[in-house]
Amino acid sequence: MYIEEIQLTNYRNYDHFSVSFDQSINVIIGENAQGKTNMMEAIYVLAFTKSHRTPRDKELIKWDREYGKIEGRVFRRNQSFPLEVVFSNKGKKAKFNHVEQKRLSEYIGAINVVMFAPEDLNLVKGSPQERRKFIDMEIGQTQPIYIYHLGQYQRILKERNALLKDLQRSQEPDPTMLRVYTDQLVEHASILLERRFIFLQKLRKWAQPIHEGISRGHETLNIDYDASVNVSEDMDSEKIRLELQNHFERFESKEIERGTTLVGPHRDDLLFYVNGKNVQTFGSQGQQRTTALSLKLAEIELIYEEVGEYPILLLDDVLSELDDYRQSHLLNTIQGKVQTFVTTTSVDGIDHETISKAEIFTVHNGQLTEER
Amino acid sequence: MYYPEPISKLVDSFTKLPGIGPKTAVRLAFFVLNMKEDDVLDFAKNLANAKRELTHCSVCGHITDKDPCRICEDQERDGTVICVVQDPKDVIAMEKMKDYQGKYHVLHGAISPMDGIGPEDINVPSLIERLKDEEVEELILATNPNVEGEATAMYISRLVKPSGIKISRIAHGLPVGGDLEYADEVTLSKALEGRRDL
Repeated sequence: MYIEEIQLTNYRNYDHFSVSFDQSINVIIGENAQGKTNMMEAIYVLAFTKSHRTPRDKELIKWDREYGKIEGRVFRRNQSFPLEVVFSNKGKKAKFNHVEQKRLSEYIGAINVVMFAPEDLNLVKGSPQERRKFIDMEIGQTQPIYIYHLGQYQRILKERNALLKDLQRSQEPDPTMLRVYTDQLVEHASILLERRFIFLQKLRKWAQPIHEGISRGHETLNIDYDASVNVSEDMDSEKIRLELQNHFERFESKEIERGTTLVGPHRDDLLFYVNGKNVQTFGSQGQQRTTALSLKLAEIELIYEEVGEYPILLLDDVLSELDDYRQSHLLNTIQGKVQTFVTTTSVDGIDHETISKAEIFTVHNGQLTEER
Repeated sequence: MYYPEPISKLVDSFTKLPGIGPKTAVRLAFFVLNMKEDDVLDFAKNLANAKRELTHCSVCGHITDKDPCRICEDQERDGTVICVVQDPKDVIAMEKMKDYQGKYHVLHGAISPMDGIGPEDINVPSLIERLKDEEVEELILATNPNVEGEATAMYISRLVKPSGIKISRIAHGLPVGGDLEYADEVTLSKALEGRRDL
């Protein structure tokens, strides 16, 4: 799939602006603070209806304007579809093929996007929350129903935690209501865990050979799921459900004492190992970067496997950070099959035939111009 | 304020209604000024009477002008079946259907610890009392199909189960007359979950 064109209205530092893109590589060159990342963000928002940089949608609207709009056309399954995301002080609206999609889970997946930005190093060395966000976003992209279960889970978790706080303070806690929430929590948690395990097996399958390629055969990558409950990848959802149920029963009084839900998918983590050593704590900067890159490239293949088309790749300010070997490995992998957007302050030092054939845009003060 | 006091007071009153913002409130207030005096007095009287004369039925909790309400008093209705709903508006929706011959119990809300609403804050205790006194054979739980409604239904079911009363939950899934292809994934999966033997 690829994005044919994009139109921005009152978006960040763009006033009113439209541009058509090349099917393969698009390079966006510009000084700092001219709008390169804003352009990448716009494509990301068109895919997910929210930014990767901020949870506040208001920031996407140009200063002192009433609303902000991103429109685009995506070409997928041999057809071209219009997309639209509008932000205003009344909230946001997302339209696919001119029809408003009331549920977020129905819109997401209209375009599949994989972004690689400098902050993605946090995927390896950041907090567990970053890695949970990564799994949830990636599964959600190809399975809308996962987003529904995740939303329900989070809602029930909030209610359950509020109840646990009440029970903690009460003299004779009545656990009936707690058990209702436990049942509901377990129902959604087991679905989330089962889907995460399936995703992980696929991710591993793709990430391992990619990592070996980037490291010229020197490094072997392994990924483990660090669960807060005693569950493992070989269990089916029924077994997972039973294990969770047992766990919550056994720790009921402890949870009341602590006043919060102690285990569940919201407490889990991913562990990355290179040659048997944990990269998060013992890996070098280079190994961490290679791991992050392998995961992102694996994601591309994974989406192809699930959706049947390659996603759109956004490389925000990362190409210049990679050494020559990793750079060309990356460009070789995507060549000719993945529509890619690259931002950089200059193309000097990026010496590759892919770049020499690319469509070059320069951005200056919220205006993008095509160079060739 | 730019308006004389009587108008600004009226505007304030209108803003207290749901769905009415400051602009609509001003429009409504000025509309009232142009209405016939009789109509305005009638309006005011209806407002006050609705509040003064309507109470909640001491049996089922539905809004009524006499206690117990007409539905509870109706001897034609089947007292062995009780349909539990969250809101008086839900009773009216059910009644429009004209197909349900049992009685009701209105909870006036759903359990949500996050909002500080526990089982005692809604009409759950009165339901339990009622089940002890009346000959009830079936309880239909018709709370909303969201987290709060679902939790409330499951809670009531846990409380009542030991007494042996039959408990059912209304189905959710595809709307009647809708096309399968237009249903969203979540609704479809719910419909599949709730499939039944033919």
